[in-house]
Amino acid sequence: MTDAAHELFERLGAGKDLPVLKRANGTMLFELKDGKRSERWRLIVDKGEIAVARGSGASDCVLRADRKLFARMAAGEVNAFAAVLRGAVTIEGDPRLLVLFQRLLPGPPSRRQGRRSAESGRPRR
Amino acid sequence: MSGEVVKILDGNTFVVSDDRGDIEASLTDTTGLFSFDTRFLSKWVVTVDDQRLSSLSVDDLQYFETRFFLVPGMGTVYIDAKLSVIRQRAVAHGFQEVLTILNHDEKPVKLTVRIEAASDFADLFEVKDALEKKGRYENRVERGSLRLVYERDTFRRSTLISSSERAKVDEDGLTFQLKLPGHGEWSTELDVVVEIPGYAALEARKGRRRTMEANLDRWFAGAPRIECDWDPLKRTYRRSLVDLAALRFAPPVTGGRSLPAAGLPWFMTMFGRDSIFTSLQALPFTPELAATTLIALGEWQGTRIDDFRDEDPGRILHELRYGELTAFEERPHSPYYGCADATPLYVVLLDEYERWTGDRKLVRELEFEARAALAWIDEYADLQGTGYVWYQRRNEETGLENQCWKDSWDSISYRDGRLPGFPRATCELQGYAYDAKMRGARLAREVWNDPEFADELERQAADLKRRFNRDFWVEDDEYFALALDLEGKQVDALASNNGHLLWSGIVDKSKAKAVVRHLMGQRLFSGWGVRTLAEGEARFNPIGYHVGTVWPFDNSFIAWGLRRYGFKDEAAAIAAGILDAADFFDGRLPEAFGGYEREQTKYPVQYPTACSPQAWSTGTPLLLLRTMLGLEPLGEHLVVDPALPARIGHLELLDIPGRWGRVDAFGRGRVEIDGRPGARRTARTTARRG
Repeated sequence: MTDAAHELFERLGAGKDLPVLKRANGTMLFELKDGKRSERWRLIVDKGEIAVARGSGASDCVLRADRKLFARMAAGEVNAFAAVLRGAVTIEGDPRLLVLFQRLLPGPPSRRQGRRSAESGRPRR
Repeated sequence: MSGEVVKILDGNTFVVSDDRGDIEASLTDTTGLFSFDTRFLSKWVVTVDDQRLSSLSVDDLQYFETRFFLVPGMGTVYIDAKLSVIRQRAVAHGFQEVLTILNHDEKPVKLTVRIEAASDFADLFEVKDALEKKGRYENRVERGSLRLVYERDTFRRSTLISSSERAKVDEDGLTFQLKLPGHGEWSTELDVVVEIPGYAALEARKGRRRTMEANLDRWFAGAPRIECDWDPLKRTYRRSLVDLAALRFAPPVTGGRSLPAAGLPWFMTMFGRDSIFTSLQALPFTPELAATTLIALGEWQGTRIDDFRDEDPGRILHELRYGELTAFEERPHSPYYGCADATPLYVVLLDEYERWTGDRKLVRELEFEARAALAWIDEYADLQGTGYVWYQRRNEETGLENQCWKDSWDSISYRDGRLPGFPRATCELQGYAYDAKMRGARLAREVWNDPEFADELERQAADLKRRFNRDFWVEDDEYFALALDLEGKQVDALASNNGHLLWSGIVDKSKAKAVVRHLMGQRLFSGWGVRTLAEGEARFNPIGYHVGTVWPFDNSFIAWGLRRYGFKDEAAAIAAGILDAADFFDGRLPEAFGGYEREQTKYPVQYPTACSPQAWSTGTPLLLLRTMLGLEPLGEHLVVDPALPARIGHLELLDIPGRWGRVDAFGRGRVEIDGRPGARRTARTTARRG
């Protein structure tokens, strides 16, 4: 089954160095509930180096969410911090990891792009 | 009869009650127990034998603790009380209240003590806007405790109330039946705990009080000491340190370290702009605030484009909130990014922090964030493609229209009072961008080991300065326009923003003298300080929020700007005016005061605001101490170049922390302040860094 949640972990696990996480250390465990089943992922961060693993294990922060909701977060349709505030997603452990993790999520569809991609050249310099 | 409002707080948990300690809030009323932007108690009323209490006195013990001395009865004349009631309350993840009843009679007495409790769980935004609630309420009696619960879908907030003495608990409160012997005493500890499930970091932190007291002692021990012939300055300094301590705020993501929140109590949260400005003001005194501000704002730095939150990659947040409306994305504060100045100011703070502390480790760690902030200036802020920083909200429903510090609807106007359309490029934003590029260049060269990037930034800065001095300069009257409108035309009102331009260094040396003449002239300088908008402009109003009042924070940065361009006496005149005003407010400067001529009113007329103390007003006397003493890091040393108002006499600032360890600075007042020094004297023009 491929969806936004899988794609997110695949992207993160692709070994790309992510500067957003460079000061972070720790393991974040994701428990994604799908009916009676639970899917578990771990995101292991060591000074910007990221590894992704399936299954349970030691962690510094646990995020629990409904799998469908998490997929919407991973697709940028739901804001992760707002979801935590309303209790749709729960966090146990170091909340800093959540703050850093949510920065890796995409934004919702937008009308606007950065200048570099939107335009070429500057009118007046 | 109890109109007096008492506030105590710890971080973003605070209690606002009347002077009896009671809370009786309506939806639009602002009393209550608040935490994480939610009201957890809207009713908390003590009665003895069905009688309300009257206040004899209130002792503010600490910013987080207060004590109420009360007697039963509501008489307006002298009450011959046989009973006293003492409520001692300390905020600590909710609050603890020790309720004591003293029987002054020889005879024993039987009493019914009742505490009525309820909560509307209003979001702070709802208190402001009086909105309807969408969830449901339930009050539960649970094993001798009362739990007030509010639920909406998965959102849940609750308040747990318990007592050390046995109480009869019902859904509306607690009742104690007691027998007090002659001259006897009874007391119970009431524990009110705010509960936010699912966010473990917010859960109970018991026994915080002792830590908070030790913390306050350490805070004072760590700050420089002051010796001064002029007592009001000593009082103001002490007041500033106490208030700054109260304004510290440790959001759940900073590992217990504190940064300054914006204002007490309604703005006890992270604000990009306010936290940065206050950290800059406090750098010579408490540099650790700057470090936490940089780390926390860096961790929340924008990474994506999100129109609802006005977020872009590299953008520094404007405001973070935790309430119900934010939780359901009915408000964009999770966090909201709609401000145009915090991002360049982030780089300014990072550089200034390194110049004072020598903490290159942090500058290396935040290299990515600083580079992303610098990239934002060119890639996302230049909405018109003209090489300037512009702003226009994308969230048109709940976003902020004006994304500069003068954020009220009428703050940016032409001389004739017309308001420009959007986007707008206000002048001070260009100054901050210039300064960010110059300072970023220094960091790139000296810390990040990237001389090419440094050269590029300096090239861009020089180009920006050249264009700015051409495009914003109002030729006929010789000052910088408030903004450019979307057609690139000057929004030509004269405003205090000119002072921030001096601070940023973007002003051509040849133009500085004319700018200073305006700042210290009749139209802008009131005698207390520089007005936000000049007298004579169509929208000028001495009690208009950003269109005529004097803002202490604004003036502290203007004074810094004057020093930067060598106008020491003028900087001293501003310090003298603002510190005089501070004395009228017992050392606690308000956010703003009236822009009336000093001669006319003799005392500064306070502008009514909801928040006091306000962080950047609290930081103002600190920055003014810096500008008066002329403190400036130079390599590994601290340069002291005092220019003090004569009245201050001898001034010593001892144990100033920094990369030099601790050093002392001394100065003696020599600048005669006779109203308007800049207007009368030939100004000095020895620029040091401009």
